[in-house]
Amino acid sequence: MIQFKALLIKELREAFRDKRALMVALSMGLLAPVMIMVISKVMITESVGNPPIYVQFTGAEYAPKLIEKFEENNILQFANVPEDDKYAWQERSIEVDIPEDFAEKMSEGKAIDVVLRADFGKKASGSPIRRIRSTVNSYSQSIGYKRLLVRGVDVKLLRPIILQEQDTALPTSNAVMVSMFLGMYLLMGAFVSGLSIAIDSSAGERERNVLEMLLCQPVSTLKIVLAKMTCASSISVLSIIIMLTLTTVSVGFIDLTKIGATFSLNAFSIAALLILLVPLCFFATALQLFFSFQAKSFKEAQSTVSMLIMLPAMVPMAIMMIDDKPAWVNWLPISGQSMLMEDVFKGLPVDWTVLASTTAMTIGMTVALVMMLAQKLKSEKVVMSLS
Amino acid sequence: MIEVNNLHKSFIDKKNTVKALDGMSFTAKDGEITGILGPNGAGKTTCLRTLYGLLTADEGSVMVDGINVLEDPLAVRKRLGIFPDKFGLYERLTAYEQVDYFASLHGMQGAKKKAAIEQIFKDLEMEELAHRKTVGFSQGQRMKVTLAQALVHQPKNFVLDEPTRGLDVMSTRVLRNHLAKFKEKGHCILFSSHVMQEVAALCDRVIIVANGKLAAQGTPQELCDLAGEKLLEDAFVKLIGSDEGVAA
Repeated sequence: MIQFKALLIKELREAFRDKRALMVALSMGLLAPVMIMVISKVMITESVGNPPIYVQFTGAEYAPKLIEKFEENNILQFANVPEDDKYAWQERSIEVDIPEDFAEKMSEGKAIDVVLRADFGKKASGSPIRRIRSTVNSYSQSIGYKRLLVRGVDVKLLRPIILQEQDTALPTSNAVMVSMFLGMYLLMGAFVSGLSIAIDSSAGERERNVLEMLLCQPVSTLKIVLAKMTCASSISVLSIIIMLTLTTVSVGFIDLTKIGATFSLNAFSIAALLILLVPLCFFATALQLFFSFQAKSFKEAQSTVSMLIMLPAMVPMAIMMIDDKPAWVNWLPISGQSMLMEDVFKGLPVDWTVLASTTAMTIGMTVALVMMLAQKLKSEKVVMSLS
Repeated sequence: MIEVNNLHKSFIDKKNTVKALDGMSFTAKDGEITGILGPNGAGKTTCLRTLYGLLTADEGSVMVDGINVLEDPLAVRKRLGIFPDKFGLYERLTAYEQVDYFASLHGMQGAKKKAAIEQIFKDLEMEELAHRKTVGFSQGQRMKVTLAQALVHQPKNFVLDEPTRGLDVMSTRVLRNHLAKFKEKGHCILFSSHVMQEVAALCDRVIIVANGKLAAQGTPQELCDLAGEKLLEDAFVKLIGSDEGVAA
């Protein structure tokens, strides 16, 4: 116990004195609320506001009424675009072609082809296209209804069945984005915050020739690994706590209900998130130590371990893609946590059996990694690469 | 007491095999300073690393105070004060904190630990370094800190791999006096060096190592007599250069 305490105190002392590495470790936590604020703000203006859209009309003069309708909905002619936004709208290049015989066909009651030309795959064009479409549709419908009314037909006849859509998913797609982003950010925080400290205390010590000295001491390698892991993990836990607290505070300033998000970070959900993430922090540092102890140099460790950061970024994405998830995905580290976090953000009750199994799995894998690493540190291979 | 019996160790690579130890045997007794001499690549460091239990010998055994290092490496390390061939310092810690760390690793605590640390700083005349961070220390100052952390728990056996490289004359003297004092107290001291005068002045017995095995051993005078030379340096060169029946 004296030994473990000494090892841990030394690791913490070194970690906290390396100001730059510590700042990097905690910067993710400090930046979290800013990121969340900015992203939510952008989403709110995009989905709620009715910003002007500038469209390149050809043949606008053939359908003045339609253009008027567009203008009512803040869909304006490209000629009026302010200088600042000119480039952006030129880039989006949304074109509407009104045929020459618009008025003629209208009076004859024939179908008119108005062409909307744009890159439908572009995310930035999504909202303008939607608005143009609905404007044209509603205009066309209102004319159609009027025609029927003039002929004495009840408009309701046109719609014998009305589908009432009731969305049971609480957040809208935008809110899902925000919560998914927050979830991914927390996972990244768990993985990245302890990274530099884990590398420094393993590959860094090897490079500074202090590891050999330590391995010559009457200490079991298990204690060494545990102390190093505890130190790096506690930094990432600290970072996550900062992240959660600051995010809770900053989310209070944004009206998330505008985008249909209902998640509120209350004490209960924060506790649930911490229960989820703390074992993951330990798992992440165990994984990082495992790889960086085997690297020959600091540089090599950095490049191998950086690959590990891909995990928290890729796994939630992959899960999003799979519609029909096999059950074991629930239990694995990272994927299990990521799905549970989604539930927490949606305000759904936490599935405690899933939480217990994924936590047990994470802890189990961490223990296995630690044991393997402790064994590896006894091997000659590690000693030989010391010199 | 350190006993090394018939150690064999080969490093096998994909391309070639290096035989680092080839039947090395010697004994370092309590109350004596035993010097290891040997040219570069003779197997000194490999032998010492086997002694700490960092490497496992292919054949043979190492006993420290009657404990086999293969069976209980931690118990052996408890009885050793190690000054390794390559060493570094925790540059973000002060000298005092480093020595404190190693003292704690040896299970010391409380007032006893504090007294031991203060004693070693006093003995090695490095009190003014104690509360400075070790970043920027000179080679000699680094050596002192490493020595202090190797000796703070007053081990029964010292294993020092070239402890005087980079030390100035004053510090070398301090170290020599320190070692002599512990010899009087009955500690076993094993140290390697390349400085012949130092070995001649300090060591009770000298072990000469070449090609992974013992080439000769005895007091400095005996070795000179064996080789028929006046100076230990000449004797050393002769003893490792020719293996015509001088191996003891």
